[in-house]
Order: sequence, then structure tokens, then C-alpha cells
Amino acid sequence: MRGSNETTRTTTTTTPLAERAAAASTAVGPGATRSPLAGTPALLRLMLRRDRMRLSLWVLGIGLMGFYFAGAIQVVAEDRAQLAQMTTMFADPVGRLMTGPAYGMDAPTFERFYATGYILFLFILAALMSIFTVVRHTRAEEQTGRAELIRANVVGRHATLTAALLLVLLADVLVGLLVSAGALAAGYATAGSLLVGAAAVAVGMFFAGAAAVTAQLSESSRGASAMAGALLGLAYLIRMGGDMAEQGGGTLSWFSPLGWSQQTAPYVHDHWWPLLPLVGCAVGFVWLGYWLSTRRDVEASLMPSRLGRARARPSLGTPMGMAYRILRGGLRGWTIALVLTALLFGSYAESMIDAADALPEEFAAIFSGDSMMLGYLAYIALFLAIFVAAAGVSGLTQLHGEEARGRAELSLSTPMSRTRWLAAHLAVLLLGLGLMLLLTGLGTALGALAVLGEDGVQHADDLVLASLHQAAPVLAVLGIVVALFGWLPRLAGVVGWLLLGYAAVMTNFGSLLELPAVMEDLNVFGHLAQVPVEGVDWAPFLVLSGIGVVGILLGMIGWNRREVAAG
Amino acid sequence: MSETPVIRARGVGKTFGPVTALDGLDLDLAPGEVHGFLGPNGAGKSTTMRILLGLLRRDAGEVSVFGGDPWHDAVALHRRLAYVPGDVELWPTLSGGEVIDMFLRLRGSHDPRRRDELIERFALDPRKKTRTYSKGNRQKVALIAALAADVDLLLLDEPTAGLDPLMEVVFQDVIAEEQREGRSVLLSSHILAQVEALSDRLSIIRDGTIVESGSLSELRHMTRTTVEVETTEPAESLAGLQGVHDLRRDGERTILEVDGDRVDDLMRQLAPLGVRSLVAHPPTLEQLLMRHYGDDRGGRTDDRAAERTVS
Repeated sequence: MRGSNETTRTTTTTTPLAERAAAASTAVGPGATRSPLAGTPALLRLMLRRDRMRLSLWVLGIGLMGFYFAGAIQVVAEDRAQLAQMTTMFADPVGRLMTGPAYGMDAPTFERFYATGYILFLFILAALMSIFTVVRHTRAEEQTGRAELIRANVVGRHATLTAALLLVLLADVLVGLLVSAGALAAGYATAGSLLVGAAAVAVGMFFAGAAAVTAQLSESSRGASAMAGALLGLAYLIRMGGDMAEQGGGTLSWFSPLGWSQQTAPYVHDHWWPLLPLVGCAVGFVWLGYWLSTRRDVEASLMPSRLGRARARPSLGTPMGMAYRILRGGLRGWTIALVLTALLFGSYAESMIDAADALPEEFAAIFSGDSMMLGYLAYIALFLAIFVAAAGVSGLTQLHGEEARGRAELSLSTPMSRTRWLAAHLAVLLLGLGLMLLLTGLGTALGALAVLGEDGVQHADDLVLASLHQAAPVLAVLGIVVALFGWLPRLAGVVGWLLLGYAAVMTNFGSLLELPAVMEDLNVFGHLAQVPVEGVDWAPFLVLSGIGVVGILLGMIGWNRREVAAG
Repeated sequence: MSETPVIRARGVGKTFGPVTALDGLDLDLAPGEVHGFLGPNGAGKSTTMRILLGLLRRDAGEVSVFGGDPWHDAVALHRRLAYVPGDVELWPTLSGGEVIDMFLRLRGSHDPRRRDELIERFALDPRKKTRTYSKGNRQKVALIAALAADVDLLLLDEPTAGLDPLMEVVFQDVIAEEQREGRSVLLSSHILAQVEALSDRLSIIRDGTIVESGSLSELRHMTRTTVEVETTEPAESLAGLQGVHDLRRDGERTILEVDGDRVDDLMRQLAPLGVRSLVAHPPTLEQLLMRHYGDDRGGRTDDRAAERTVS
């Protein structure tokens, strides 16, 4: 009964589609029906219809953020003197780590400040939009079986991927236009503003191409998005290493697609040619995606699925064992990614010291080489903790998925109480996140030890402490999301991601935006002492942990009182 | 235990916002009884099941399962029952065998030989990841996990919707065995013939209300069989028989409807007429509902349209 609604809905949307596809192909001529692209226009119309809200929000959201970033700087910094003061934010090694190569910061202008500090985040959003959109219309459609329904019509083999890519191209171009318009509206130079927009399109299409490839590789849409997302993360990490090493970017910056987009140096050099490798790779990826798609069946992946065990291990028969099996895959993926990131971050420590030593006099007065490194390490612990919390929110959305897909209903039909069901999942999740914090701390320490040798030893335990110290805000985020899961399950995931996105923005720009104190307080990650620069301050640690514990208890109560959602 | 009814529901109501799912539902299931719970899609069968499981809260009325309240005593009650949902969703990365074992252990005691036997009888490959299973195979996993468990009550929500005819026969055999062992079964379906073959008693639900409930013989008046027959002698005379309705001719054939308890009579009268061919089919649920309770859903009067909406 549950599935029947879905089926009817799909049928009604595809019937006119089939007719239109058939009509389109006869109009073009008999040859068109044999084309691998037959049906592309009809599919594109279907995708536009399905995505009219979702994609409009993405495009407008990124566009508005562009307008906001371009305009806000001139409000925050009223004159050039103030601007020059603020450039330390982006020009010092930690700033470059976060934002980019910091071109032209020796002679800062508003437009250079905008290009240095903010455009990278517009590019990343364009990349995420492109990845999610491509995967949503390709692998996700195959996973649900809707692709089968589509492909049974007069639809060419490459029509779906082509339509999805055209859709993304359209969205990316609109994003590019809005971003350029935002910069132009702020009165910035035309050439640079156009270049920023073009770079957004190029980055978007690079990752759209990457998603077109990963959609062929993975059997699940989650897996396809995760693979393309991992590539984006890697691009960011590599760029971090390069950009931190020297102003204008080091060698590593040239190994990252995000690095290429920033090497255009808008408003400084206005180079267009670094966009060429982006476009070239995008074309290559798309070609690879098409080619791979001819090597597999609909709904299959290129990675063959293996047989599992005929009998379960004894551990699977307990609530904890069940929760572990459900959450294991996600936790494992996040841990591997974060530990590798931590190792990499740790190994950047040396170039941080070198870069700090090379800073001009006025900076050196503020940061000595050593305190600069401690600040860097504190920042890293915070940065990684936000991602550990993201792993937690992702685990909780999985829990919500268990309920939405009807699996929680089946689990709860056994003599397992609701409290045990939720407690088992939370226990696995919290243990996993704790381990993740410990391992990322150790990873950073290990990376630092590898490059600093003896000098690094003194910081090793500080680093583990700094990482574990972040357990409090991670717990607080989890508590808030669990409380919502108990009472307002629809909001749980959204609020979780918003909290983290807000924390990421505030951590990087908070002090720059001159926001009222309330706004700063809303950043869950903004309350702890900066270990190892400062010692541990227990008050905020305990308050945040308390919020987490209370949230979890509230969530338990709500979950026991509310109805289990029908799938 | 024989004193307490397994399920007793009185005047149960449930609304989802503006939609009324259950409207004064009554239901009784005695120990050891197989009870057919029959109704068209959307009549409230699954909502009833989910209230019996304590996943949903009733808005009105009384419900008891083994004498307990399904919402408050869920865990204790779940030790004695197993459930198979109508649309089985499993964890894609677990194998079928792992899911079966997991549920059997979560449910408490079970017989491992029964598990292996059922896997074999339902022809399930327990090593395959559930991601690769069809709807029918996912349903088999949930069925085996329920049937091999040591429980007193089985709640089966359209359990055979995805099974092929061969597997449906296996299912019917297994349910018959369960019944001999004294288990109670609440079996929901929208196909009359299926529950008729298995059930001691039937309840028919429509728009959230039980419209008819009783043993099969009590409901015999509802099972009017359609007979299409070609005879060498004219068959008009049959119209006068007790229990024969709507006799009409269609070319060579005579089409009539006969009450379930009059079939034997009709056959005796038919034999001397020289039967060349004979087709008899049981009524569909929708035919029954329309015949007895009218059609308030916008002028669907011909039977074929009705059958389409049920299938």
C-alpha cells in the first residue's frame, strides 16, 4: 500500500513524457529514434519541472550570497586604512589556508579583498550544486528504478546524462551571471568580475563532470555523491597546502581544480588561461562518463556486488550490533577522510612556521612563529571538529531515513523498546565520534611530528587534547538534532546542517562581519577556549556538554511519545 | 490464556490531519485463529496493524493485544508476536541471511532448523545482499524471520503481494502448519480467494470501518460465484432455482450467479443439460463490496473496472 502512491505518481508524469519523446523523434525524422540522444529535450523538460524549486533556490542562494559578499566588505571596512588592517585575516598563512592565495594583498582594494576572501566559497557551493544535481538525475533515478521506466521509452542511451549535464550547465551559467552581476553591482572592475563568474561556471562544470563519472562507478546515489564530494574535499586540502606555503600559491596549488580557479587572480592579474585545465578536465570527465555508461547495464555499477554471509555473526543479534551495522559504513568513511585530512594538516605545520618567519615586520609583531603555529593547530582542531559533528549529523539523518523508509517500523516490531533502539544508535554514533576526535588529534600530531621531528614532540599531547576538547560542541550539536528528532523530526536534519554551516562561516568570517554578540553566540563552536593557545576553560565545555545531554534526553522523551512515521 | 482474546478492538478511530483512516473499527481474534482481514487499498488495514504494534496511537476506542495495551506495553507484547509489513524495506548492505538471523535474535528464542527449512522451502539465497533482492525476495526475508520465530501471534500485512504463485502455495502450507501449532494469525489482503483458503474467520474493512465479520459459513451468502456455461439443451430453466441470480445469455453461453451454498444444487441441475464447457470464478472483493454496500465512489458499475482498481 505504501508504494502504490509513488508508482501512480511516476506513471502519470512519464506518460505524457513518452508521448512527447515519441512526437519529438518523429518530427526530426526516422534517424533520430536510433540516436543515443533521442528524448533529451523531453527529459530536460522533466528535470526542469522536477527541480524548478530546488535548483532555483540553489542558484538564487549562491547568487544572493555573491551580492552579499561583494557588498558587505564596503560596509564592514569603511575606508582603506581599515581594509589594510583586515587583510591580515587573509594574508597570513592561516588566512591563506582557509581562503586562497591572497593575490594583491600588498595593495588591498575592496574588490581584491572580495576575490581573496570570499569567491572560493561561491565556487565550492557551485561545485556542490553541480554534484548533487547530476547524481540526483542519474544514479538516484537508477537506484529507485525510475530510470527503467524512462529508458523503456524512445530514449537514447546517453539522453539522461546529456539532459542532466545540460541542466547543470544552465544552472552554473545562471550562477556565474549572478555572481558577476553581484561584483559589478558593487562597483568592481568589469574584467575581474566577469572572470569570477566564469570561474564559478568552470568549477561547477568540472565537478558536474566528476559526478557524471562517479554516477557510473557507484551503485548508490549516496556513494556517487560521496566520491565526487571526496574529490572536492581533496581539491580543497591540496589547495590549502599550496596556498599556505607562500603568497600567490605554491606548487601544490597547481594540483587542485579549486587552486586553478583562484590562480586566475581576479582584479590583480586577470588571467583567463587557468580556466583552460578546468574546462579541459570537465570535457574529459564527461567523455569518460559517457564511455563508462556504455560498459554497464542500467541500474548496475562498474563495481560488481559481492555475496554476503549466509548467517549473521552473533554480534548482529543485539540492538547495538544492529546499530553498528547500520552506521558502520558512514562512520568508517568519515574517519578515513578526516584522519587523512588531519595527517595532511599536521604536515603543513612546518611551512606554517616558515611562512610566519617570512611575514613582514608588522605581522610578526602580532604573531611570533611559535604562537602562529599554536593558533594554526587550534584552528585545525576546530575545523576538523566541525566535520566530526557533520559525521554525527549525517549519522542522525541516516536514523531519520531508517524511520522514513519503514525499517525502524520493522525493527520496533521486535521486543526492542524505542528507548533501546535510539540509545543503541546514539551509543554507536557517540563512541564513533569520540574515536574520530581522538584519531584526528593523533593524526595531526603524527603529521606534525613527521615534519617537525623533535620540535613537534612538545605539541603532540596538546594536539590530542585540543581535538578531544572539541567533544563538547560536537555533543551539543548532536543533542540539538536528537531533541528535534524526538519532537519535530522533519526539521532535525535541516537544523543540524544549518548549525554546522553557520559554525563554518562564523569560524572563518565571524570576526570580520562585525555581527551583534547574539549572532556570534549562536555559533556552537565559538565558545570554547582556543586550546592549545589558551588553557582549557571548563565553564563553556560543561555548558555545551550539558546542552548535548539535555537534548538527547529530550529527544528520547519525544521519540517515546510520538508516532513512528509511516514510510 | 484461552480466556483472553489475542486481539480485541472496539470503536477504534484514527485520523491523520483531515483524513479519517479508521472510524469505529471493531476486531476480534481468538487464540489459535487465522483471521482474514480483507479490504481494498487505503481502507485502513495497515493503519490497524500499526496501531496493534504500538507504532501509532489510536485517537478513540479501545485496543488490547494479549490483554495488554499495544502503545504502553509494546515491548512485552512484541515478545509474543512477529510482524511482516506490506512493503518490506531492508538494509541494502546486509545479506538476506543476516537480516533473518538479526530479527530472530532480536525477537528472542527461535528454532534454527525451522529457519533453514523455511529458507529452503521459500527458495531464498541467503547470501545475496538485500539490495539485489526483488520485492518478493524481500518479503520472503521478512516472512521467514517472522515464521521461524517462537511467537504466539503473526501480524501479516499483505504478505504475498510480491510472491509468485508457487511461493504462494508454500506460504499457504506454512500458514496451515502454524495454525496446527496453535498460533494466531491476522492476515490482511485485498484478494478474497487468498484469505478464504486460509482463514477461520473474516473481517471486511472499508473506509476504516468493519462492514462484515464472521466465520466463512456465516459469510457464505457473500460468496456468490459467477458461472459461465455452454450447454446442448437450453439452460433458461435454471433461472427458477433457489440461489441463482442474474441469469443472462451471451450467444452460446449462459451466464449466471449462484450463492456459495447453492453450487451443489446447480451442478445437479446442470448435468442433464449436457455441459460442453464450464467456467466458474469466485467474486472479487470489489464485486462483493459493491454488491452489498453499493458504490459511493462515482459510478463505477461494471465489474471489470472494479477489478482493475483492486489489482
